[in-house]
Amino acid sequence: MTGRRVRFRLAVIEGVHLRGLVEEFEDLVGGSRDAADPAIVRLTPTPYPEDAEASAAFAESTRGDLLDRRSADATAVRSALAVFDADVEALTEAEALRSAEIVIAADDIDSWLRTLTALRLVLASRLGIAEEDRHDTKDPRFALYDWLGYRLEVLIQAADEQD
Amino acid sequence: MSAPLISPDLDETTELAAAPMEPWEVVVWNDPVNLMSYVVRVFRTYFGYSQERATALMLAVHHEGHAIVATGPRETMEVHAQAMHDFGLWATVRRAPQ
Repeated sequence: MTGRRVRFRLAVIEGVHLRGLVEEFEDLVGGSRDAADPAIVRLTPTPYPEDAEASAAFAESTRGDLLDRRSADATAVRSALAVFDADVEALTEAEALRSAEIVIAADDIDSWLRTLTALRLVLASRLGIAEEDRHDTKDPRFALYDWLGYRLEVLIQAADEQD
Repeated sequence: MSAPLISPDLDETTELAAAPMEPWEVVVWNDPVNLMSYVVRVFRTYFGYSQERATALMLAVHHEGHAIVATGPRETMEVHAQAMHDFGLWATVRRAPQ
C-alpha cells in the first residue's frame, strides 16, 4: 500500500466545519473522559453486558487505551484539515464554496474512517438516534449527521478502490 | 523418631493438554449508525474475509440483529472485540454454546 493515496475534495466551508468538529471530538476523547457520558459509553462499549464484574474489569483496563487511539486518529485527521483555517464569518459565498483537495496517505485511511464514524456515533448519542431513520428535520444537527454519512460513504468507496 | 517418607504417586497424572478448550465467540450487534459499506470493509480488512463473506455477515447483522464474526480462545476474542470497538462497531464476547 506504500505510496497509495486517497484524494477527495471538500468545499472550504465544509472543511472548516469538519475541522471544528474534529477539535471538539479531541476534547471529548482526550479531555475529561466522563465515563457517564453516553457518547463515551458508546465509543467504549462493554464486551460483557451480562457480567458486571467482567465488564468493570475490562473497561478499567481498556477504556483509556481505546480513547487514546481515538485521540490519535483525530489528531491525524485534524492535521490533514489544517489548511481549512479560514474565519467562516469573513468568507464570501464564492470563497466558502471553493473546493480544496485533501490527500490522505493509505496509512491514514483507517484513522479517517474511524474518526468520521466516531463523530456520527457521538452525534447519534446526542440526538437520541436509537432506530434507523429517526430524523427530526427541524434540528440542523440531523443535516450534519447525514452530511458526515455522505462524506464517509464517498471515502469508503475511494478506499475500497485502492485495495 | 522418624516419619514415613511421603512420595507423590507418580502414576496419577492430570492431562491438562487433553482438557477441552472452551471456545468463545465475538458477536457484532446491529446499530442504526454504522454504514453497511463500512461494516463490510471492517470485516474484510480486519478479519481478512472475502467480499462475499464480509457482505453475508454484514447482512446477518442488519437483518437478524447480530452475527458471530469470530470464534476461538477468550483472549483472542477480546482482542477482536476491542478492534471492533476501535472501528465503532458494537461487539460482545461470550462463551460459545456447546
